[in-house]
Amino acid sequence: MDIKEYFSLVFSDYTLRTITLGTAILGAICGMLGSFAVLRKQSLLGDAISHAALPGIALAFIITGTKDTNLLLIGALVSGLIGTFWIRGMITKTHLKSDTALGLILSLFFGFGMLLLTYIQKQPNANQAGLDKYLFGQAATLIEKDVTLMAIVTGICLVVLLLFWKEFKILLFDADYTKTLGFNTRFIDILITFFIVLAIVLGLQTVGVVLMSAMLLAPAAAARQWTNKLSVMIVLAAIFGAFSGVFGTAISASQNNLSTGPVIVLVAAVFVLFSFIFSPGRGILFKQIRFWQNRRDLKLQKTLQFMFDIAKTHEDISHPHAIKILNNFQGFTKGSLKKMEEKNWVALQGQKWSLTQDGYNAAKNLYTQE
Amino acid sequence: MTGTQLEIQLIAAIVAIACAIPGVFLVLRKMALISDAISHSILPGIVIGFFLTEDLNSPWLILLAAVTGVITVVLVEAIQKTGLVKEDTAIGLVFPALFSIGVILIAQRANDVHLDTDAVLLGDLTFASFDRIALGEVDMGPKSLWVMGIILSVTIGLLVAFFKELKVSTFDAGLSSALGFSPVVLHYGLMSVSSVTVVGAFDAVGAVLVVALMIAPAATAYLLTSDLKKMIGLSILFGVSSAIIGYWMAHILDASISGSMTTVLGIVFLMVYLFAPSKGLIAVMYRQKQQRTEVSLLTFLLHLNNHTEESERHINHLNEHINWQRVRSQTVLDLAQKNNMITISDSIVSLTPKGKEFTDLALEYIITNKDEKIEHMKDDFFLFRG
Repeated sequence: MDIKEYFSLVFSDYTLRTITLGTAILGAICGMLGSFAVLRKQSLLGDAISHAALPGIALAFIITGTKDTNLLLIGALVSGLIGTFWIRGMITKTHLKSDTALGLILSLFFGFGMLLLTYIQKQPNANQAGLDKYLFGQAATLIEKDVTLMAIVTGICLVVLLLFWKEFKILLFDADYTKTLGFNTRFIDILITFFIVLAIVLGLQTVGVVLMSAMLLAPAAAARQWTNKLSVMIVLAAIFGAFSGVFGTAISASQNNLSTGPVIVLVAAVFVLFSFIFSPGRGILFKQIRFWQNRRDLKLQKTLQFMFDIAKTHEDISHPHAIKILNNFQGFTKGSLKKMEEKNWVALQGQKWSLTQDGYNAAKNLYTQE
Repeated sequence: MTGTQLEIQLIAAIVAIACAIPGVFLVLRKMALISDAISHSILPGIVIGFFLTEDLNSPWLILLAAVTGVITVVLVEAIQKTGLVKEDTAIGLVFPALFSIGVILIAQRANDVHLDTDAVLLGDLTFASFDRIALGEVDMGPKSLWVMGIILSVTIGLLVAFFKELKVSTFDAGLSSALGFSPVVLHYGLMSVSSVTVVGAFDAVGAVLVVALMIAPAATAYLLTSDLKKMIGLSILFGVSSAIIGYWMAHILDASISGSMTTVLGIVFLMVYLFAPSKGLIAVMYRQKQQRTEVSLLTFLLHLNNHTEESERHINHLNEHINWQRVRSQTVLDLAQKNNMITISDSIVSLTPKGKEFTDLALEYIITNKDEKIEHMKDDFFLFRG
């Protein structure tokens, strides 16, 4: 199946449609909430929480004995939240830094989860197979019910986001000011953290524990490059996320042996790379071009200054001089002379140049900014 | 205990020590998450190495994987240097991308590769002692014992040789470069050692749990001491004992060895986190509560000092004026009375000479911020112990 065939099938084929919709919605919600995570400098929280959710899934299975997705996700949510608040407790109450706290929760919870999973596997109960899909994610196992759940959560999240828009925004950029204004910062903080954890837990089934952090980060990091406005960034991140989901699914469906999760992450990484290079305001390419332009302008001004120094010793500023005498000065090329002629700073006559009145004035005001 | 069991425990203990040493420096340098990034991103290195050599036991595999680890660090730093995103975002972008490449490469050759992602993430110690090295006819012991043994001895050698340089550059990078030890060289040296250790340990405990073995013992030790040598010693102790207890727990539960080693590490950390003498949660909360009460006491005494009129010093008035809850006021009053700083007659509170003296000293301390004024108060009050 090639990509074209995929797009013709996507509306008719049940499985393809479900998976595509699921990954698109997931990408969108992750992009939206990921923007907050990135701006709050909690980028790696996603990594820690996705790992910390594992023991919750295993415990939920041990307690209930069923593989009902919703129950397992509630388990994941609870254990993810415990992880988040423990991280916060560690950072505020002890001198351990955030990287250590994140790494600890990540690895310790995950290890405990693995212990439980291997323990479950040894139990004489045929029902346990398939729990390990949460490790690497299997988009193919998405069914309509899961997608509906994702859509509902995304809807609720949107409503909450709009309701608390100004609170979220102000907390993001100036937490102390928010407190002095009398907002309940703790509540707002918990609310946004709760939704981030929720998005991570929803994504586990699709992209798995390891790649979840990239789902959260990459669209937001890409969107950040194109704008300095929060609302635009969130919308862009949601779009990038959704497109990564769709393209990733399309590519992985059109080839054999390509698992969806990693492909989605790589597509998102391409978005990031593209944004890093080509974004007009912050991108590396345009930054470099601006750098070259500035350098050229400076050189031009340097040549002009040199000409000015010669011309001002003559009564007639437009007295012609040989181009040759510019040679002992580095900043001159044929191109730069031509450019100066275009700006009407100099007049060229054969092998001679002469400064015009415009050029004289420009040079005189070069450093005084009159 | 059979020979195999002994060998597995020996391997586990050596892995724990080899991880704990670089772990201490990673935690102190606030780079703990780099170990997480490296442990995931070496996957493509291993896979490509395998495609080139067609041999899972080739030493080239370890070398190539370690190089990938260092490349990860370089990439993260390059992205960070562009200033487009923060460091943690850079880490979070690099390693999932590299890991994805690894997973996709494995999937492409799934049929002819004996390498699956489960083994990569989780590892397995149980089989470590079956993979043996033989020299001619003589059995030389399990391969991972040799690999980790060599890595450990190199690590210890480097630690002893560069201990003072590492110490200086960890705590004061500026001083270190002023003294002529390049922090950059030490940084990449540490990163290389960490990469090699992660790759070596990864066979035995898997990608995620190697992170636990690096960070958890160091973090636990950090809560107990602020002496670098003691911290290294303690983390080795925690690492080794958790590894061995974890092995027996796995034996009893019939579950993953690496999982139960991590769980033991987690329990040890939780205990220390809660009960560590001065930096543990309970000690910190107790201290904060004590300080809050003492600040209240001070406020209260200053209030009494400021007001001579009786209406201001009536017990019931205090609730309104300083706006405290009833319980809190009671605690503060009790504390003050116990210390003979106030007397209460007819519900009117007044300062005793001792209370007056204390208030004056405290006031002077607040104004001048000089320590010697309160030397003798430090024994009685947390507040002044800093």
